[in-house]
Amino acid sequence: MKFITLRKMTIGLAAAFTFGGAAGASAETLRVGMECTYAPFNFRTSDGELVGYDVDVAKGVAEIIGADLEYVCQQWDGMIPALLANKFDLIVASMSITNSRMEKIDFSSPYRDSVGRLVGRKGMDKELFDSAGSPIAANFAGLRIGLERASTYESWFNATLPDADIVLYDGSEPLYLDLVNGRVDAIMTNPMKAHLRFLAKEEGSDYQFVSPAISEVEYFGIGVGIGLRQGQLELKARLDGAIKKLINDGKLTEYALKYFPFPIHNEEWGDS
Amino acid sequence: MSFDFAIIVDALPKMLMGIGLTFQLLIISAILGLTLAIGLMLMRISGKWYLSWPAQVYIYIFRGTPILVQIFIIYYGFPQLEFIRDSFLWPMFRDPFGCAIFALTLNTGAYVSEILRGGVLGVDRGILEAGSALGLSVRQKFIYLTTPIATRLALPAYGNDIISLLKSTALASTITLADMTGIARTLVAQTFAPYEIFISLAIVYMILTWILQKSLGRVERYLGRYMEK
Amino acid sequence: MEALVGWWDDYFWGSVVVAQVFICSLVLMVIFGLIGAAAKLSNSVIAQKLANGYTIVFRGTPEILVILLLYFGSAIALTSIAQIFNPEVKFLDVPPFWAGTIAIALIVGSYATETFRGAFLGVNPGSIEAARALGMSNLQTFIYVRIPEMWRLALPAFGNHMLSLIKDTALISIIGLNETLFVAKQAIGTTGEPFIMYIVVGMIYLAFSTVITLTVMGLERYGQRHMVNVR
Repeated sequence: MKFITLRKMTIGLAAAFTFGGAAGASAETLRVGMECTYAPFNFRTSDGELVGYDVDVAKGVAEIIGADLEYVCQQWDGMIPALLANKFDLIVASMSITNSRMEKIDFSSPYRDSVGRLVGRKGMDKELFDSAGSPIAANFAGLRIGLERASTYESWFNATLPDADIVLYDGSEPLYLDLVNGRVDAIMTNPMKAHLRFLAKEEGSDYQFVSPAISEVEYFGIGVGIGLRQGQLELKARLDGAIKKLINDGKLTEYALKYFPFPIHNEEWGDS
Repeated sequence: MSFDFAIIVDALPKMLMGIGLTFQLLIISAILGLTLAIGLMLMRISGKWYLSWPAQVYIYIFRGTPILVQIFIIYYGFPQLEFIRDSFLWPMFRDPFGCAIFALTLNTGAYVSEILRGGVLGVDRGILEAGSALGLSVRQKFIYLTTPIATRLALPAYGNDIISLLKSTALASTITLADMTGIARTLVAQTFAPYEIFISLAIVYMILTWILQKSLGRVERYLGRYMEK
Repeated sequence: MEALVGWWDDYFWGSVVVAQVFICSLVLMVIFGLIGAAAKLSNSVIAQKLANGYTIVFRGTPEILVILLLYFGSAIALTSIAQIFNPEVKFLDVPPFWAGTIAIALIVGSYATETFRGAFLGVNPGSIEAARALGMSNLQTFIYVRIPEMWRLALPAFGNHMLSLIKDTALISIIGLNETLFVAKQAIGTTGEPFIMYIVVGMIYLAFSTVITLTVMGLERYGQRHMVNVR
C-alpha cells in the first residue's frame, strides 16, 4: 500500500514541478495573489467562492486581455515576497502604488482610491487631529494603535508618529475584533471597509472615525493598482489598457456599487 | 540567486531584540506548565475516578489539537464570550502576552504531565517494595523514593519538551507579539528578503536549542552521577 | 451557531486537504526517517555526520519558520538548480501544498530518525542469528526479520510522530493552504465570529488525532498478537 502511494506521489511531485515550469509557454493562465480574508475587496463566501471588488476587477481585466485566472491566497505581509518568488504573477489585493513598493515591483494604472482613516471609540476625551487635519502627536501618548503589518497605514504611522504604541496584525479582520475587545484604542484602516463592515452595523455603534481621510501620496500612492514583477512592460501595457476600458465602460462603477453606495475610483483615470 | 549579507547584518540586531520576549515566554510557561503538569499527573495516578477522569480528558484535548488553534481560540475566541470579558481574568486575556502564556502553559502542562507519569511508572518496583519493608508510608515513598528517580527518568523527554516549547514561542508572533519571529516577519515585509532573514533567524533558534540541549545534558549527568554506567 | 450555516462544506473540503497532507507527509516522513536512521547506523562517518546535521537543523528550528523558508526559498533555490541544467527554465515553483508537506515531513522525519535508529538497535540479536543459521541472505534478513520487529518496537513513538504531523498541518495555513484553519480565517473575514469557527477547527483536529490514536493502539495489539508476555 505504501509503494502505490509512493509512485503516485512521485508522479504528483513531477507534475507539480513541470506544470510550474511550463506555464510560461501555454495559453495564458495568470495566477493572481490576494489575501482572501479582506471583505469586501477579496474574500470567500460560505459557498467557497472568492468574491469582492478586487476579484471583479481581476475577472474584468482577464476577460479583456484574454487570459485565464488562477487564485492564490497569501498572507498580506508576504504578498510582495511571494510575487518576487514567483508564487503568482499578479497582485490584485487592494495594494497601494507607493514609491517604496515601486522599487521592487511594477504596478498597473490605479483602479481604486487609496485612503486611510482612524477608527476609535466615541467619546474619546482627546482630539487626535487638529482642524487642519494634522495629527497631534502628544495626544497619542498612552494609546495603542492597531495596524496591519506591511500596510500603507503602517508606513504612514511609522513616518508621522514614530513614537506611537503600535500593535501589528497579520490580517485586517483581527483589527476590528481587537478594537471591540479593547485590546487597541484605535485602528487605522480603509474607511470604505470600516464603514461597511463595522460602523454601519450594530457592533460599531459605539465607534466612529477619529481622523479625517488621509491620503498623502507619499504613503498611500496615487491609488490601488495591480502589482506585477518588473520587466514585463507588455503585460503592464495590456493591464493598463484593460483598466482604462473598464473605467470607460462604467464597469468599475458597477463593481463598486455592488458593495458601496458610491464608486471608489477616480473617473479622471479613464480619460486620455 | 544573490545572498545579500548586508540585509542580515542589519536585521540580526533587530531580531535579537526579541530574544528577551522569547525567553520570558519560554521560562514563565515552562515553570507554570511544570506546576500544572505535576498537579495533573498526581490526579492521573490518584486512582480516584473523579480526579483521574477530568485530567485524562484535559490531556486528551490539549495533546490532540494543534497549539496554533489553541492560541487562536484563547486570543481571538475568548473575548467574544461575555463571561470572559466580565471576569477578573480579563486583564490577562486582554494582553497578548497573557494569552500566549496561558496557551503555552496549558499545552505544555498536558504534555509534561504524561512525561512525568512515564517517569513515575518507570520506577523500579523493587525499590518501592524495599521502602515498604523499611516501614515508609505511601507519601514518604513518593517523596523520597519515586520523585528523585522519576525525575531522572523523565529528564530526557522533558528536555525535548522544553525545546518544543522554545519552538512554540515562535507562534506568539501570530497574535501580535514582537518576539524574534514577529520582528523577523516585519523585517521581511519591509525588505522583501524572506530568504536571508528567515535563514538567519533559523540559525539563531538552532544556537539557542544547542545551548538548551547542552545545559540539559549537564543536568542529566549530574542527576545520574551515582549510576554505574 | 447560525454563522456556521453554509460553511460546513468548506470545512469538509478543508479536512480533505488535511487528510491529503497527512498521507503525503507520512510517506515522506517514513522515507526521511529510514534514510536518516540508516545513515546513523552505517559505518560511514560522513553519513553519520550528515544525518546528525539533519537532526540538529530540523529539531532546532521552529516549524513555522521551516514552512515559511521552504515556501519562499524553494522557488529561488529550485530555479537556480534547474537553470544549471536547462537555461530556458524561467522558474520552478513549489505550491503551498508541497512546500508545507515536505516541510513537516522533514521536521518530524528528523525525530523519526532517532526512533527508527533505536528500534533497529532493539531488534533481538537472537533472531538475527537464527536467520543466519537458516541461510538467509542479508537482504532477506532485513526484510523478513529486522523490519517487522523494528516496526513493532517503533510503533508507540511512531504514533506520536503521526500525531505531530497532523497537528503541524495547521501551521501550513500560514502560507495560504486551504485547510481547515485557513477556512476558519476566511469564514471569520465574512462572519466575524472567531470563537465558534476556531472551536470547529479544534474539534476536527481532535477527531483526526482520535482516529490516529485508535489506529495505533490497534496496530500495537496486532503487532503483539503472537507474544506471550509483553510489557
